[in-house]
Amino acid sequence: MIWLTWRQFRGQALVAVAVLAALATYLVVLGLRIRTAYEVNVDCAGCSVEAAKDVFESAYFTPLLLTGFLVVLVPGIVGAFWGAPLLAREFETGTHRLVWNQSVSRTRWLAVKLGLVTLAGVILTGALSLLLTWAASPYDKLFDGRFDPLLFPTRNIAPLGYAVFAVVAGVTVGLLVRRTVPAMAILLAGFVLLQILMPTLVRPHLQPAVTERVAWTAANAKGLLINGAGEVWTEEVAVPGAWVLTSGPQMLDAAGNPASQEQIESCPRAEPSAHMACIETKGFQMTLSYQPADRYWTFQWLEVGIYLLLAGLLAGFVFWRIPRGLN
Amino acid sequence: MTPVLRTDALGKRYGRRQALTDVTLSVPAGRVVGLVGPNGAGKSTLLNLASGMIAPTTGTIEVLGSRPAANPAQLARVGFVAQDTPVYPGLSVGDHLRLGARLNPGWDDGLAQQRVSQVGLDPTQKAGRLSGGQRAQLALTLAAAKRPQLMIFDEPVAALDPLARRAFLQSLMEFVAELEVSVLLSSHLLGDLERVCDHLIVLAASRTQLAGDVEDLLAAHYRLVAARGDLDPPPPGIEVIQATHTARQTTLIVRDTTGTLPDRLPAAEHLDLEEMVLAYLGRAAEPAGTANAVQPLEVSR
Repeated sequence: MIWLTWRQFRGQALVAVAVLAALATYLVVLGLRIRTAYEVNVDCAGCSVEAAKDVFESAYFTPLLLTGFLVVLVPGIVGAFWGAPLLAREFETGTHRLVWNQSVSRTRWLAVKLGLVTLAGVILTGALSLLLTWAASPYDKLFDGRFDPLLFPTRNIAPLGYAVFAVVAGVTVGLLVRRTVPAMAILLAGFVLLQILMPTLVRPHLQPAVTERVAWTAANAKGLLINGAGEVWTEEVAVPGAWVLTSGPQMLDAAGNPASQEQIESCPRAEPSAHMACIETKGFQMTLSYQPADRYWTFQWLEVGIYLLLAGLLAGFVFWRIPRGLN
Repeated sequence: MTPVLRTDALGKRYGRRQALTDVTLSVPAGRVVGLVGPNGAGKSTLLNLASGMIAPTTGTIEVLGSRPAANPAQLARVGFVAQDTPVYPGLSVGDHLRLGARLNPGWDDGLAQQRVSQVGLDPTQKAGRLSGGQRAQLALTLAAAKRPQLMIFDEPVAALDPLARRAFLQSLMEFVAELEVSVLLSSHLLGDLERVCDHLIVLAASRTQLAGDVEDLLAAHYRLVAARGDLDPPPPGIEVIQATHTARQTTLIVRDTTGTLPDRLPAAEHLDLEEMVLAYLGRAAEPAGTANAVQPLEVSR
């Protein structure tokens, strides 16, 4: 059975190895460059972290973001091109009627095929995730932003959960639809949808967020906005290493009432940093809700666990369904 | 000896469509069984049930004494070639033989190699590029080389040209003689089966119409021709399968249930296989509830 699986899969496996080799080369080069840049801009006496951030952001934000997207996309591609056709193509060409009549039980046939292809998907995705995590680690350390929804699914172990889920989901869709191309399309659409729903609707609530009132400082807020009604809102708040769920909270004065335009304008207009420093002295506050930095690994494991659980349920269905024949 | 196929009140339903109804059969071992019937009669359904590709809705089916496809040992005892003889288009002929060797503990590689060279298949050729006849030969080789006790073929020759059809049936009969295997094969054309079968099952409108050894069946069926009215009512001890009338004459196709018909009616003639099967198919095609009535079959000339 292993021989047959390999014989049917080897073409795709070779393509995957070629793609992996190319991407790995790129990521290693990228990682080495980032390390050099880190030594030059950050690990030096008297270097300004702010200036280093500017250098890093302009040079590496885009490559890291795009390779990050790739790491999330690879499980989807694996699910669509390896998972979905695994059963669907057999049904489409009728070859399941050939292979199911060899002296091998359908359960074993399915277990070997599903097992090997899932393993290949995990290895491919895992290698990419590992390489990207390594390449980006100085950048991530500098910005302390790995909890960010754009980075979280592209680093460490989360992509492994996506890979297992995508392959098993592809196989399940292939079993239900029994046609290769529609199964691939449905799998991709479903996978993308899940990757949008997860960070927006599910992940923020995996653990109760910490909600607290914190002082407004020039360091944690990027700036402020005053709307037509004279209300003042903070622009982008950052808590080191944490995932801030409140996008731009309203500014409150020292007494806890909404801050007014007049209170802000009591600071004289000056060059930006002096203006911000003045505002900081007025004791403004804001209510923030966030997932603290020390929960990062809990969330990684929860993410993997959820996707593995979903994959397990789908696999259970497939293993229940296949021995019963196609009626 | 265990029957190769035994079914009891077997039924299969696809959604609202009843594909097979109340089929009760017992096929003894060592036969070449022909399963005939028009398209949509339920032949594929019965064979797919026998190979365990699908599960019955009602009733039971046993193949060689066990539930079909119950375990690898049972799978090894049955060789099934599905309709349209599926093969992996991307794998070569040699790959298919390796597949057979890896997945079947009882694989007879000598037999497989010999058959492949005998029918002139190139082991390096991709199976997707084989002609229909070559593909059927490859599928037959795969099914035979696992050395099963029963080989099942679903419409093996339907898509083949007359030459390939003859070659395939020839190969099949060689296997039967060589391997002492029981065979169950279906066709919607009786002509394909007539020469090779010694047991017949006629399936129409999802039910069995007739089943038995060909010799016994032929011995029990007669044509009675008489002046109109002379056979009304028909003599006792016979079952009228089909009746046709002209203005003066009545022709009955009957089944003798007593074994004494020739003594009582010396004019009774034997039928050939095709006439007999057509009579049953004709009866099955009539509206329900009128099968044994004489009038609705009346043909005015």
